[in-house]
Amino acid sequence: MAQMSSEHPQFTASIGSFNKNSFNNIVNFNTERELEGRQILQWLSPLEPQQRHQGVRINRFDGIGNWVLETNEFRKWSGAEDGCVSPVLFCDGNPGVGKTYLR
Amino acid sequence: MIDRLCDQAGEKDVAVVGLYCDFLSQQEQSTTSMLGAILKQLVSRGEIPEHIRKAFQKAKKEFGGRGLRLPDIVEVMKRTITALPRVFICIDALDESTPKYRRELLESLREIVRVSTNTRLFLTGRPHVGDEIRKCFCKVVRIPVSPTRDDIRSYLEMRLDSDTDPDVMDDELRADIMRVIPEKIGEM
Repeated sequence: MAQMSSEHPQFTASIGSFNKNSFNNIVNFNTERELEGRQILQWLSPLEPQQRHQGVRINRFDGIGNWVLETNEFRKWSGAEDGCVSPVLFCDGNPGVGKTYLR
Repeated sequence: MIDRLCDQAGEKDVAVVGLYCDFLSQQEQSTTSMLGAILKQLVSRGEIPEHIRKAFQKAKKEFGGRGLRLPDIVEVMKRTITALPRVFICIDALDESTPKYRRELLESLREIVRVSTNTRLFLTGRPHVGDEIRKCFCKVVRIPVSPTRDDIRSYLEMRLDSDTDPDVMDDELRADIMRVIPEKIGEM
């Protein structure tokens, strides 16, 4: 959304020769499209997982649990470019061991 | 994990999206709203794909502007995800969703992964959901997580260093804490 509005000045500059009426139509079209974009995101889901992620990031202690990211299992899973490895990596553990806070 | 994958992705065209299941939000976290939350993150990176825009415009005209049903959202996700070069989907605490929603979510993800071989799933949860995951996906890489002694020591050090009442601490007590707690946890 930010991208669209930042491109907007150049876009409108290039149509400077248009009369005022069509200029307004284009502005309206763009804002309507942006508004619809926001409505679509809300329609897809009311959940906002990014908010929880910010909380996790703030409370995380750097360095703890990093050994998981050094394992061969993790490297293979995240590095392979095709379907030859398992697409699923499952980290299991009892409550409170820090699964959520793996960096 | 999300941050690490993002760092690793760097400049490359890689999408990393995440979802946290929460016991307290079980009602809102239906299969469609969870998949929708993943889809939302995938499409909010750039222009919303035209097929999603069209589906929305169509739904708006229908009674009450209805939401996507599960089979529809799976189809939309497949179409969106196959257009992306590489996607990581991270889902935390699967055990905190209801058994019904969890099964539907895993089955939907299986369908999605089947059409997009460049999509990777990172799942966390208590050990018992492992069986359900293995039933759904034939190959699963498992890493059991429990804090190492080093993890516990670094955590204790950080907590002791940020103690708001440092006057009650002395070297002997600190040494005791650093020795006994990792030992006791190791025995658990």
